[in-house]
Order: sequence, then C-alpha cells, then structure tokens
Amino acid sequence: MSDIRFAAATEEPAAVRRLLIGLAVAGLATLVAAPLLVVFAEALAQGWLAAVTALGNRDAQSAIRLTLLIAGISVPLNAAFGIAAAWFITKFDFRGKAVLITLIDLPFSVSPVVAGLCIVLMFGTNSLVGGWLVASGHPIVFALPGIVLATMFVTFPFVARELIPVMIEQGRAEEEAALTLGASGWRTFRTVTLPNIRWALLYGVLLCNARAMGEFGAVAVVSGKIRGQTATMPITIEMLYNEYLSVAAFSLAAVLTLLALVTLLLKTALEIRHADQLSATHRH
Amino acid sequence: MHIEIDEISKAFGPTAALTPVSLAIPSGALVALLGPSGSGKTTLLRILGGLEFPTSGRILFDGADATGLAVQDRRAGFVFQSYALFRHMTVFDNIAYGLKTRPRATRPPRAEIARRVTKLLDLIQLPDIGARYPSQLSGGQRQRVALARALAIEPRMLLLDEPFGALDAKVRKDLRQGLRDIHDETGLTTVFVTHDQEEAMELADLVVVMSGSRSGGRIEQIGKPADIRARPATPFVRDFISA
Amino acid sequence: MTRRPLIHKSPMPGLGLSMGITLTMLSLVVLLPIGALLWKGATFGLSGIWETVNRERVWAALFLSFRLSLIAALFNLVFGLLLAWVLVRYRFPGRRILDAAVDLPFALPTAVAGIALTTIYAPNGMFGALAKEIGWKIAYTQSGIFLALVFVGLPFVTRTVQPVIEEIDREVEEASATLGASRVHTLRHVILPMLAPAALTGFALSLARAVGEYGSVIFIAGNIPLVTEIAPLLIVIQLEEFNYDAAAAIGISMLLISFAMLLLINLIQVWSRRRIGYV
Repeated sequence: MSDIRFAAATEEPAAVRRLLIGLAVAGLATLVAAPLLVVFAEALAQGWLAAVTALGNRDAQSAIRLTLLIAGISVPLNAAFGIAAAWFITKFDFRGKAVLITLIDLPFSVSPVVAGLCIVLMFGTNSLVGGWLVASGHPIVFALPGIVLATMFVTFPFVARELIPVMIEQGRAEEEAALTLGASGWRTFRTVTLPNIRWALLYGVLLCNARAMGEFGAVAVVSGKIRGQTATMPITIEMLYNEYLSVAAFSLAAVLTLLALVTLLLKTALEIRHADQLSATHRH
Repeated sequence: MHIEIDEISKAFGPTAALTPVSLAIPSGALVALLGPSGSGKTTLLRILGGLEFPTSGRILFDGADATGLAVQDRRAGFVFQSYALFRHMTVFDNIAYGLKTRPRATRPPRAEIARRVTKLLDLIQLPDIGARYPSQLSGGQRQRVALARALAIEPRMLLLDEPFGALDAKVRKDLRQGLRDIHDETGLTTVFVTHDQEEAMELADLVVVMSGSRSGGRIEQIGKPADIRARPATPFVRDFISA
Repeated sequence: MTRRPLIHKSPMPGLGLSMGITLTMLSLVVLLPIGALLWKGATFGLSGIWETVNRERVWAALFLSFRLSLIAALFNLVFGLLLAWVLVRYRFPGRRILDAAVDLPFALPTAVAGIALTTIYAPNGMFGALAKEIGWKIAYTQSGIFLALVFVGLPFVTRTVQPVIEEIDREVEEASATLGASRVHTLRHVILPMLAPAALTGFALSLARAVGEYGSVIFIAGNIPLVTEIAPLLIVIQLEEFNYDAAAAIGISMLLISFAMLLLINLIQVWSRRRIGYV
C-alpha cells in the first residue's frame, strides 16, 4: 500500500510556510544585513591601508580611549548596582517593590536626548549644584563625569533586569541552606548566589557594555563634542561623517560594528549553552 | 457510527508507532484502548480523529472510506488529555466555538447557539459557569467543559485521550460515572485511551489491550472486560491486568 | 488588624547594603536628574510649558515624531509577529542566524545604524538608486525617518512574542481543528488572541523607543524644520543655543508621552494577567 501523506492539523501549507520564511528573510536582509555590509564596504572603499590609517589618527585614537574608559567606569558600576538591586528585590519582601522595579526600568522609556537634558539641567553651569561644582573646578557637563553619568542613565536597567527574573526563579532556599550551615552573608553570596547567576550576569553585562560603547543621543547632549577631549567614538563618527570624511567615519563605525557582532555571537552562545541559567525569555 | 480500522500502521520517520492493526467498533459502543505508554494507543486515537494520518491501511466510517478525511470534516468530538481549553475565552465561548466557526450557511442563529450551550452546561451539571474563564475552574470542571465543547458540534463519535489522567482519585470516580451517563444518553460511539486497567474494565463495554515493542504498537486482545479477565489471550495481557 | 510592615523580617543578610546601594544609585543616576527636569518645568508652570510647545515648529516636530513612530511601530507589530512565528514554528537552514540578526538593532550603535542606512537609502546608494528609478526619494524625507524608526524598533515585538508562541500547547490548536475550524480561523480566533497581550507590550515598547530615538534618525532625516525635524533634535538645537527653558519644556512634553506609554504597558499586563492568568 502506498504511503499516504496529508496536511497536519497544526501546520500551514508548505507554500504558505515558504512565503512567510521568504518575507522574513527579505525583510531582515534589507533592514539589517544591508546596513551591516555597507559599513564594512564603505570603510574599505579605499583599501585596508586607508581604513587602518584613519583609525591611527590622533582624534580617532583619543575617541577609542575615551569610549573604553567610559565603558570601563560605567559598566562595572551598573553591574554592581544590578546585583545589589536584584538582591534587595528578590531576597526581601517590602512594600513598594513594584514601584521600585518600574523606577529602575524608567530609563528604557526615556529618550536618550531627554536623559542628557536632565543631566545638563541637574549639573549644568546654570544649576545650583553645577554652578558650585564648576566654581570648585569639578565640571560635570561637557566633561568626563557627565558622559559617564549619561551612559549610566541609559544603560541603568540592563543588569538588574537580567538578574531579577533569574533570582526569583531560583528562590531563596539555597541561600537559606548556606546560612543554616553557618556561612556568613558575604560567603553565602560568593559561593552560592554568584555561581548561580554568573551567566545571567555576563549576559546583562554584555548588553550593557554594547549600549555603553555605542550610546549617542545622551552623550551628544552632555559631551560638548570637544575633539580629542569629550568626543567618544559615536560622536567622532558623527563629526567625521558631517565633514564628508567617509572612510574615516566608517572605519570607526566598523570597529563598533565588530563589537556589536561579537556581542551578538557571545549572547547567542550563552543562550545555547546556558539557557537554563538565563531568564526564561532568552531560552530558545 | 460503526468504525472499521483496516490494517492501519503508522511510522514517525524511522520509528514505528503502530504495526498494522485491525479493529471493528460497533455503533454505540464504549471502547477502551488500554495499554502501557509506547503501545500506540494514543496514536490510534489521533488517527481516528484525523490529527495523524496512517502510513498504510484504511479507516471506514459506516462503510465509507474516511482515511484521508480532513480533521475539520470528521466531526469527531475529541477530548484532549490537557483539555486544551481556550483560556482567553469564557466557558460559554469555548463550548460555542465549534458552532460559531461553521460557515454562515450552516451556522445556527445566535439564539440557537445559546440554547445549545445552555443545554450542554446542564448535561455536564455545571449550569452556572458559562461566564467564567478556564483558569477559574477546578480540574474536574475543566474536564467536563472540554467534554461539553466536544459534544457541541454534534459529533459522530467521541474520542477521549486519558480523560481522567490529570485528576485525583475521588474526582476520577465521579467523572467516570458522568462519562458513562453521557454515553448512554447520547448513544455516541465512544473510544477512550487509558493506561489504568481498572478504569478500562469498569467503564468500557469492549476493551482493546495493546502492547508496544520496537516494531511498533500492536493489539494483544479484544474482548468484553469479563472475558479478558477470565481468559487473557497472551502472557502480556495476563501480566498487565494483574499488575 | 495590623498594617503590613514596610519591610518584612528576613534572615537574609545584606539588607542595609543592598538597599543602600540600590536607592543611592537610583537617586543619583536616574531620579535626581529627572527631578531636575520636572523642577525646571514646575518653575515656569503649565502655562509656561504650553507657551513654548504651542509654536508651529515645536508642534510640527512633536506631531511628526509621534505620527511616524506610530506607523513604524504598527509595521513592526505585523512584521515582528511574522518573524516570531517563522522563527519558532518553522525549521529551515539559517534559522539561528536569522534569530540572532533580529537583535542587531539592539547591539548596533544608533549613530552607526544612522550613517549606514543613510548611505544605502540616499539617492546614490544601493537601494536609494533603485527607489529613485520609480521616483521615490527615501533618505532626507519622512520615508527615511520611518525606515530608521522601523530599524530601531524591530526586535521588540519579536522578542516579547517568541516565548509566548513557544508556550502554546499544540493540543489547543488541534482542539480547534477537531471542532471544525480551518487553519486560518484557528490562527485568527485562537492563536492571535493568545499572542495579543505580548504583541501589544512589544508594540508599546517599540513605539516608546521610536518616539525618543535620535541617533539613527538625524542622519537620514534631512532635518528640515516643519517637514523632517523630529522632537529630540529640536531639544538638541535649543540646548546648542543655550535655550534651556525651551529645551526643558519640550523635554517635559516628551517625558509625559513616555510616562503615558509606560502606564499603558503596565495596564496591558495587569489586564491580561487578570483575565487569562498570564502575560
């Protein structure tokens, strides 16, 4: 008797499936893949040498150093905040927890430009605090502290958001066990909690770092765009692009794009390897 | 409706689920497919319902070939193990779903749909829960709603996959009697899958004992509960019913 | 009846430390700066804000930002649902790469996306030249802004809907089929309502992101007042002219829009949890 094949009850016809896959691929190709390719094509438009020379330029070098410095300060600070906030929220019961979580998530729904504006209004020369700080020789706006603050604002929720669901799921039993066995609080955190959350922590830090190095809107407002001093990589890209120095602009852009690709690669690897230790929305 | 299963086999890729099995189910019977997991009993039920299609063999409903009949056209009332209630719909809308989904020409008017749903809610003895959502029901109530939903389409047969599997012992006993009553009242040909031999023996007119092996599930014995108890046909059946 | 205590007694260590770090940093980095903006707004009052906002150029910018963000978010709602469905339900070569590519707009700096999109869709660019053939100018028009906003909002709907599709019990779809529903009817009346809360959340997130977006838009927008000038850019322009009051007034209007959307997201989640017991 011949093999009988019929459409399964819970599947779309093969033609529909192919059409939808085609639409998905075409959409992502024009929206996502094309910009990616164009960055490298434009960077290498005049050959490798031109691109590398552009990166060796003094302003480009100082931009790269500044961006690394800013990420180096703001990411660890936000990681520390994320761990503290996740511990406070998941290990204790208190009133107003939902409000606190909403406040931590707030920066995600505030425009980066408005974030920058807030910092300018808080610490700018016109403000009470800012005027005093400038007078005492510690300006915040148009200087490194302002850029760090702006970066921290826009990346504020990343780590906490990653850790909270994971720590809720893991519960408190393991920590309670460690405490009954006589471990100190710090020891309990280091030997019980941290190993359980390390991959989720890494995941959050990865995303936080990518955003920190790439932040443009908030930094554009607070940096003052002083070449060689407060111009980060994205700001320098804007300046070079507006001066029609295409190869130089895209060479720096290519460096940031490589960073983005590495971030995605590591993130995907984490999702495949350590799915059980990430928050449920990242498992697939 | 009389159901004839003629040399049905099923393979999922390289894995055999059913070796060719044949079985005649007389109209109006209450039949249990009894066996351990891996014996192909659920696969056979899903083939009857049109959720899987056999690799070879035929199915006849009242003598007419129904092997390739689409699931939508079978009019098989199917009660799933998880009940599969639509959780975004009220109990009323769940039960009315099959009637509302019909093409306009054959869809009953709104008032008629409401009348039928009310009647079904009475039948499952839960007249007051129409406005509730599935998440607000107990396990036993969900099972009965799933049964009412399957009955709403005026099915030609009733197929139940482990209908009491997820319930505790007390509720199980009550619902068993409930299914028996509904079967006797509607006279529908009813097939249910179970791994619980006591449940099969107590409830069914006809028990089909199945076993599994590498070459796929097969039928060990077909008979009335008393006959199977008195005269197990194979060592497998003797072990399984005494376990 | 006793009142619920502010903080329940707990044997867990580190209450003071974790609460201290959390509240201090939250205040310093987020709450005080936002408070400074609101304080600034309070000093010139609602009528002062209204005076600034009620100018043709400001209205045009706010309206443009909101209108294009809404259209872009609607596009992302449809395309995001399609992507999520394809990625979860279908198996095909390259699926993992496609899945990872969805996150690129999250990972790629907005300035980089901005100059890349502009280069492609400018009249002499790869796709821009093609569009020019049929008389369609993309970069430096509202079409260009729309495109940039679609780019930045792309991942939201897909990422909120994907886990929900994964959770769908296949038996529910089968139940619908055994009750006589066609595949299209099942998708429309059973699957779509299950995805709706997550999809709406993703839509609102995508909308919020688009309204505030700056980096990827300004390169491709052309920035012509009244035509292609977005609200965030107007703030930057006011700040560059040291016109802090006007910047603050526009900033507060945008903040209020953001808060309204945040409220909307939360209401959607509360509503869906009440009604069907999940988000």
